Amino acid sequence: MAALSGQRRLERRWGYFMAVPAVLGFVIFTAGPMVASFVFSLTDWQIGGTPAFVGVDNYTALADDELFWKSLTATTYYTLGAVPLALIIAFAVAMLLNQRVRGLPVWRTIFYLPTLVPAIANVVLWIWIFNPDFGLLNSLLRQGGLPTGMWIYDEAMAVPSLIIMSTWGFGNTMVIFLAGLQGVPQHLYEAVSVDGGGPWHRFRHVTVPMMTPTIFYTLVVGVIGTFQVFSQAYVMTEGGPNNATLFYVYYLFRVAFRESEMGYASALAWVLFMIIMLVTFLLFRNARRWVYYEMAGAR
Amino acid sequence: MRRRQLLALGGLTAFAAACGDGESSADEVQLQFMYWGSTFEQKAVEKMLQAYEKANSGTKVKPLFTPDEYDVKLNTLVASGSVPDVGYIPMAMSYRLAEQGKLVNLHPYLDKYPQLKGYLSDAYLWYGKDQLHGVATANEIELLWYSKSAIAAAGIAAPPALAASAWTWDDLVQNAYKLTIDQNGRHPDESGFDPKQVRQFGISSSITYAAAWYGFLRSNGADFADTAGTKCLLDAPEAIEVFQNLQDLIYKHRVAPGPGQLAATGDDVPGTNILLKTKRVAMVVDGHWSLLDMNESKTDYGIGVLPKYDTPFTTSQVAGASGVFAGSKHVEEAIELFAFHIDPQHVDLYQQGLWMPQERKYYEDQAAIDSWTKNDSHPPEFRTAVVDYARDHGVADLRGRLKNLSAINSDVLTPALQEIETGKRSAAEVLKEAAPKISAKMQGWHHRQEI
Amino acid sequence: MKKRNLLLYLALIAGAVPTLLPFVWLIRSALMQDSQMFIAPPQWIPEPFQWSNFTEALTAQPFGRYFVNTVVIAVINVLGTVLTCSVAAFSFSRLRWRGRNVVFAVLLSSVMLPYAVTLIPTFVMWQELGALNSIIPLTLPSWFAGAGGGVFNVFLLRQFFLTIPFELDEAAYIDGASPWRVFWLIVMPLSKPAIIVVTIFTFIGVWNDFLGPLLYLNDEEKYTLSLGLASFQSIYITQWGYLMAASAAVIAPIIALFFFLQRYFIEGVTLTGIKN
Repeated sequence: MAALSGQRRLERRWGYFMAVPAVLGFVIFTAGPMVASFVFSLTDWQIGGTPAFVGVDNYTALADDELFWKSLTATTYYTLGAVPLALIIAFAVAMLLNQRVRGLPVWRTIFYLPTLVPAIANVVLWIWIFNPDFGLLNSLLRQGGLPTGMWIYDEAMAVPSLIIMSTWGFGNTMVIFLAGLQGVPQHLYEAVSVDGGGPWHRFRHVTVPMMTPTIFYTLVVGVIGTFQVFSQAYVMTEGGPNNATLFYVYYLFRVAFRESEMGYASALAWVLFMIIMLVTFLLFRNARRWVYYEMAGAR
Repeated sequence: MRRRQLLALGGLTAFAAACGDGESSADEVQLQFMYWGSTFEQKAVEKMLQAYEKANSGTKVKPLFTPDEYDVKLNTLVASGSVPDVGYIPMAMSYRLAEQGKLVNLHPYLDKYPQLKGYLSDAYLWYGKDQLHGVATANEIELLWYSKSAIAAAGIAAPPALAASAWTWDDLVQNAYKLTIDQNGRHPDESGFDPKQVRQFGISSSITYAAAWYGFLRSNGADFADTAGTKCLLDAPEAIEVFQNLQDLIYKHRVAPGPGQLAATGDDVPGTNILLKTKRVAMVVDGHWSLLDMNESKTDYGIGVLPKYDTPFTTSQVAGASGVFAGSKHVEEAIELFAFHIDPQHVDLYQQGLWMPQERKYYEDQAAIDSWTKNDSHPPEFRTAVVDYARDHGVADLRGRLKNLSAINSDVLTPALQEIETGKRSAAEVLKEAAPKISAKMQGWHHRQEI
Repeated sequence: MKKRNLLLYLALIAGAVPTLLPFVWLIRSALMQDSQMFIAPPQWIPEPFQWSNFTEALTAQPFGRYFVNTVVIAVINVLGTVLTCSVAAFSFSRLRWRGRNVVFAVLLSSVMLPYAVTLIPTFVMWQELGALNSIIPLTLPSWFAGAGGGVFNVFLLRQFFLTIPFELDEAAYIDGASPWRVFWLIVMPLSKPAIIVVTIFTFIGVWNDFLGPLLYLNDEEKYTLSLGLASFQSIYITQWGYLMAASAAVIAPIIALFFFLQRYFIEGVTLTGIKN
């Protein structure tokens, strides 16, 4: 390696220095518990008892665990539906709320409200929306002369129903996009206009490319978060009907704290960790093709 | 392990220690009492704890109020070795903790604290011969609640409050027909009845909640498991009949709500008081604890005993456990607090209608019965429909009796019962498939003995 | 232009109807008696208006104290998170050093493991440090780039920092500026919208956090708002009217916070100025 220039040396020194709090935080608060949970995953440990080392038995047991496969399928299904849908809606709303309109603060707050309403109030609302007899969804469908559904009370419809429900939570992604849109340089828009490009051109050739770092972020975070989806299954469906909405982390949570089988739960967790890690890795690798950064070496 | 390395971060430790709070002085007895409950129960429990402190000067009790995620917190405290002295314990955890030696065996203390000897025999939670780890916190039984005005409007006799004259299942179905009305005022046996627009359902009785059907099962001569507790008997004809009857209420007779029709799922159901008050349902099978809500919301309710097949039975002891944690520095004081916290003399929740006592005398001795039931919260029929019914016809809930039930429930039983509830397959089909799977997970009954 | 505006407002109104629904539902429920709340089909106008839900719910628990406790934790978290996460993000985006991407990947991996299995070891760690029943476990990690969940913030800021033209840094370095000056005087001022996002998310995250306070706080006088809310629900009883009223009251401050902070999402004036 060639001798570093003064500038590179400066960057390197400051780079290490400024990464210290984050690395220290990881080492002190996160790494230990992570390693501990991996060790648990190699034991038969019921909370309160003495852990017994069992090697990879917990992992091999997963292969025969019907609920493991069921929960993995339900979670993947949910992730494939919820993540793109949330992204598209959030982006559209962010575009809308980035226009010059009267009362913009009020509009923005209104569109963010669903994110702020406490889960329990939301659950009661959605139980009504999904009610087969007089719920909002079926009433609308009936008026339109369309067939009605049993929604969360039907095995086949339960996951799609929860995906629909999840789209109301677009607020946080929307806010990120809104912030991202502020960084799109005006002069690029002006350049397109000068060249005679219309709104679609501006959107396609300025907004979208300049937003790719933000889109990439929401995609990665969306995938990481959605694979760990928990609360809807926990408070609304309890995994039912007939395990249709038995999301992975809900199942894991049940094993960990209802059955207190922390060894097996840890193995479940580390398998999910590997899956999420793999998907994230693929996303990062793929990102080189479509994410636009100001600095070539950024990756 | 890692912990030790972390301790090397001395500065951080000192900082943390400086900010943490100091514990109490040496000669004072300090107990910690861990519990859950609504703000309503919180007030009653705090009052009880104050009364205990007053009666035992020199003893301080710190409440550890845990409104939700109780099992997460308790598991964490167990794993980190910082359990409280006395507390509620979810039934799914209590036996395990006892077997792990995390709970005090109360059996050796029975002679010293005679109050502990006087509970209903179903209340005791044994984990082996002469090994007693606690008592169900309160007695609770399943009842048939009804809206008085709905019954009057249908012109039928109210559900009997005396077990001897309990309705048969057919009586229930017949009356439920008369109590079920669609938006146009039609009953399910009339032509043009619209099952999608039901204004008032006749009856609601949960298929997925074991306490609601276990009494029916026993009344029909069936049981959940054989005497060894290792073979599931839900595929026996008598058991199938009970579940088929429950399914038929929804899909054949159309007198009961199906899944979702009450705008309810999981725990987030509008309470039975609201169902009756708004007349969404005329009769509901639910626990005794509903009494508090009934009175608070001024519902026009009545209490009946459950319908019977043969001998009338209802599920009792539908509650969590209470126990004393091992490692308490003051075991005797902790046991005294334990007895105190389920003593109707010190806890308002009995008179207010949330709890039923565990001490036998409150079901047998007239003065003792009056002490908790002679008040505005308890209607006239309470004596026969609840006190006598619980004493003579209660069968203890499965949760306190069958090993490994919580895993059986979540992994096999609940999904199967949900299938019955959605009406896609008959009870016989579902149960014949589920029973062997349940048997595979069964580990026997818990130990039982008389005091 | 007129037609475009009309379409714009139509779209806003069309979007506002479904997004207002949960909030309107919450408010109507907060003002209803329990028996009206569950009538089918649902009613929208409380009859009568049960204003006492608010007064009774908010006095059923010491919500004033819980509010102060929660604000204290939230403010400490926001300050720590914004400061340390942006420092880290600067290092991971605009400074070149060996192993940077590997370190970043390791940090990011910490949010891929479900918290359920790290919860107990983490608790034991705080116990060994003698920090139980204090706000330390709920605040200290935020001063180390949020440790754990905070990595999302580092990642977010990193992505935003990467959109700022690098010519700015280079020009400053030529003038002899240190990386800290570049961070503090160039990158931070240009990243206001992203910092506001981190502020909002962190604040709301603390506001709604239930499990953290539940595990680490034992004395009721230290409890937070989310613990206060949970006490309206129990296995036997749910006090629906109180629950809804208290929930509405509890989210009012964060609605106000968002309303106040969203003004920073204004078209990137700063950037255009510099470019010219």
